[in-house]
Amino acid sequence: MSDSNTIPNTSRRSFLKLAGIGGTAFYLGVFYSDDASANVINPDLPAASKIEMNAWIIIEESGKVTLVDHRAEMGQGSFHSVPQIIAEELEVDLKDINVIFAQGSKKYGGQITGGSSTIRGSYKNLLKLSATAREMLITAAAGIWAVPANECFAQSGAIIHKPSGKSLHYGQLAEKASKLPTPTDVKLKKRADYKLIGKGIRRIDTPLKTNGKAIFGLDKRIDGMLFAAVERNPRLRGKLVSFDAAETLKIPGVKKVFKIQMQVHSTLRDGVAVVADNSWAALQGKKALKVVWDDSGFEHLSSPEIAKRKLDLLQKEEGLIVKKEGDPSKIIAAATKKLDVVYETPYQSHYAMEPVNCIAHYQDTKIEIWGPLQAPDWMQQHISKTFSLPAESVIVNMTFLGGGFGRKAFTDYCHEAVVISKEIKKPVQIVWSREDDATQGPFRPGVSYRGEGVIENGEIAALKFRMAGQNIDHWMSDKRGKPNGSTTEGFLAPYFESIKNISFSDIPFETPIPVLWWRSVYASTNGFAYESFMDEMAHEAKADPLDFRRKYLKEPRVQILIDKMEEVSGWKSRKKNEGYGVAITECFDSTVGQIVKVSKKRTGGIKIDKVWAVMDCGWYVNPDIIEAQIEGSIIMGLGAAAFHEMTFTDGMADKKNFYEYNMPRIYDMPEMEVHIIDNDADAGGVGEPALPPFAPALTNAIFDLTGTRIRKLPFNMDEVS
Amino acid sequence: MNNNRPSHYISPSKKNKKIAVLLVLSVIISVTAFGINSRYNAQNTYTAIPKSTVKKDSIASVKAFEKVYAVLMSPRCVNCHPIGDIPLQGDDSHVHKMFPKRGEDGKGLYAMKCANCHQSENTKGEHAPPGAENWHLPPANMKMVFEGRSAHDLAKQLIDTKQNGNKDMKKLLEHADDGLVLSGWKPAQGNSLPPMSHSEFKKAWTTWLENGAYAPAKK
Amino acid sequence: MVKLNVNSKSHDCDISNDMPLLWALRDILNLTGTKYGCGVAQCGACVVHLDGEAVRSCVTKVSRAEGKKITTIEGLSLNNDHPLQKAWQEIDVPQCGYCHSGQIMSAAVLLRENKNPTDEDIDNAMAGNICRCGTYPRVRKAIHIAADMQRKAENKS
Repeated sequence: MSDSNTIPNTSRRSFLKLAGIGGTAFYLGVFYSDDASANVINPDLPAASKIEMNAWIIIEESGKVTLVDHRAEMGQGSFHSVPQIIAEELEVDLKDINVIFAQGSKKYGGQITGGSSTIRGSYKNLLKLSATAREMLITAAAGIWAVPANECFAQSGAIIHKPSGKSLHYGQLAEKASKLPTPTDVKLKKRADYKLIGKGIRRIDTPLKTNGKAIFGLDKRIDGMLFAAVERNPRLRGKLVSFDAAETLKIPGVKKVFKIQMQVHSTLRDGVAVVADNSWAALQGKKALKVVWDDSGFEHLSSPEIAKRKLDLLQKEEGLIVKKEGDPSKIIAAATKKLDVVYETPYQSHYAMEPVNCIAHYQDTKIEIWGPLQAPDWMQQHISKTFSLPAESVIVNMTFLGGGFGRKAFTDYCHEAVVISKEIKKPVQIVWSREDDATQGPFRPGVSYRGEGVIENGEIAALKFRMAGQNIDHWMSDKRGKPNGSTTEGFLAPYFESIKNISFSDIPFETPIPVLWWRSVYASTNGFAYESFMDEMAHEAKADPLDFRRKYLKEPRVQILIDKMEEVSGWKSRKKNEGYGVAITECFDSTVGQIVKVSKKRTGGIKIDKVWAVMDCGWYVNPDIIEAQIEGSIIMGLGAAAFHEMTFTDGMADKKNFYEYNMPRIYDMPEMEVHIIDNDADAGGVGEPALPPFAPALTNAIFDLTGTRIRKLPFNMDEVS
Repeated sequence: MNNNRPSHYISPSKKNKKIAVLLVLSVIISVTAFGINSRYNAQNTYTAIPKSTVKKDSIASVKAFEKVYAVLMSPRCVNCHPIGDIPLQGDDSHVHKMFPKRGEDGKGLYAMKCANCHQSENTKGEHAPPGAENWHLPPANMKMVFEGRSAHDLAKQLIDTKQNGNKDMKKLLEHADDGLVLSGWKPAQGNSLPPMSHSEFKKAWTTWLENGAYAPAKK
Repeated sequence: MVKLNVNSKSHDCDISNDMPLLWALRDILNLTGTKYGCGVAQCGACVVHLDGEAVRSCVTKVSRAEGKKITTIEGLSLNNDHPLQKAWQEIDVPQCGYCHSGQIMSAAVLLRENKNPTDEDIDNAMAGNICRCGTYPRVRKAIHIAADMQRKAENKS
């Protein structure tokens, strides 16, 4: 997911300019609103006594402060982290505030929760808008008391006049403050002065998640709503010939059965919708349908054929050059000894615990949507376009997400819900069964790589990578024929400084299988190939794999990271019968190194004894959430490396439910130790960057222990010897 | 990692080795069948059977047991009579995913009790849990392992009251109509039937027992 | 008409006998804390207590639940203060949170039957609950914390 969708960097100049683009002179620290009425009163709130200081801060007369999370909460912690940032500069206590989700709106400058962008894309703006609001509240109080503003300070939701001890809470000041000119020179706190940021403060949303009160998409209820399940083509793009709903209509609760078309990327997919007064009836009704499909006109591929085509391409084609320094091909062609190997990663389904779902209410002049949405603004734009309504007539409400991993940033299910609501003229919740969620895609593409390299005198003389895998961008827009822009995603930039002859190319490859982002996107597959190959090169150079990387990654931040990895893991003091593997990847502005320690199980196969993870994500908000994200990324990485894959047979996705798509369970989890590097660099992403290095660190450790090089994922750890 | 992955969770090749070891052990400690004088513990087992019901036709008995054995070693029976403390699943008798443990009473442990998922009847749908009243494994003190047993060993084990839950001839004969035994002939969707009908099995079971419950020769 | 006793309240539901308890709770009684994850007893998101046992409501028909005491996550404690809930909050176990109703309901049976569970006991009890976010290390840690809390509370009384 590209950075272009994140909030623009708000240097003072762009801040002023953007406020200008908004077309409205906000009285108080508002940045991006294009809604002329939103300067003072939030139209969505019932009482006129609530002041919207800006798009993120709402203050009631009573002094109650509500902060807005403009991004999706899918586990990664935005519902806590965004308020933690705002509260720091606004000077409110987290225990005293409300947090609500934003609706989809341009005023937030980009809401796509992807590319690990929530913090790194918003924090400077959030700090500034919060500090601005605070300063205006101080100015308002100083005006009321007729004292100099510099005698006043903000604390716990109130402004205090230091000499006299007088105080007024924010509710008493908000209206007056909102009429003041917006200051342009607010000072931000120094990092050392933070009271909240950088601290592992308990998450605001946790209590809601221990008693069933958190409302996920599937839990949302709207008056008069019905439920719908949809039978879709198992080969994803077959055409509906006919359906027989006789048995379906006999099921108590089933109301209506009809054909629909859902938009997936640029294609329309046929489906048969079963609308009922409860989810169970809808799902049973879907099972009872007899549907005839026309699956002609497109290829019905199976996984072995897909794999073979990619391997053929890698042997025959040079591909489109993405990055090239020097002339590695020439050196490789002339070399007497070279490495030339292939790595393969599988397709994956997202398998969020909460299957895809969405509520839509189509009302002729207005469409309202509620759901687990990673990108409410995208949904708004997409529905606005496809149903020809102005964007402001499409109201998109976020719920908590029971996992997203990229799947819920896609617009298909939202569109499907609106199509069904339009037909029945009632609010409706579409419920995807687990099987729908697993097999209907879009999927993470499986990618194959060819790595070629030459070591001369212990140095990398040439390094050449080719990749062949489906290109997500090809599905998003008309970019076919262009190389994959994410070909080097995950590969550390400092390598380009130190390896003189290096190239990456992408060999365009497509199938009818729709593809999409999956946690850490291409880094999740690239990382395995590139960091495995780096290990193979180190072995070829007879070098220690960690020292080998240290030699080629001269960037100071990476040097610090490597030193830390060595220090915490005991890399150099390993014992006999222990295998150690290392991998370092970079994505979304954060670098993560992992060391995995493995040993042989008594009963055969390999077990993971420990994983050390070191993350350099620059400026950060909540180290405890970061630790959780790293642990989660490792376990998700473990699943993709050694437990599950999506395969296809005759054009159909095979792994329909958890009985076929195995997940790591509690007894599979390795011991993990997480370290976060402290520095003053700009914030990097947190939710994804710890996933890519896990698989190569694991397979590199297995090589270290056994001499067996694993080049294809997933593999079975019980069968490694 | 895998600190609690049961030792049962092993690769096929290893598993076979383990079974082989167990077989050797079971041969060493095996006892002879009903109706045959034994210097070991035959006294106990023999007295459990009223002499009048034993016809002592070793050929008919052993022949009948061939059929019995074919049924007992089918996935529908062997899956709940595993070597380890975790049941097996499916027609390939793989170790039950998510590793539910036997527990003392054979009904599972804590949040992983058999009946938490397995209802009193099969749940409809692909890979949905099969079910029957009182779904469980043999208890920990009477594991009645089928998995990996030879016909010889299994025959002896079945009639050994120390290993069969103190079942005498009458109880053994009745056991053919036990609810869980019968449920083998109501497989859940996607699971195969035992290799013969229940009535054919019952006939073989009865023939085997009533003709002296002879064990087939060791192979 | 099916009579269900949920969290000590009696409900008459106009539903068929074979509706899974999960959907009766969620769509009829509007108790949405119990989650749908797989529909075939694979993931544990739908665990509720039926006369104290951690049944999977997605495969448990309402007919089985009639005349029995059903407890859902909403009814585990009055004030979100079961030792497990407190332990979950103490170390922020959930990420997305979707599976945690089921995780907590499963763990509650473990703690009732085993006051001092080892890591192995926890594995045995929690093996049926999948978490895609990978909160397992914290699930384990929180169960130990809750067991401590429970033992301390019992020693006091």
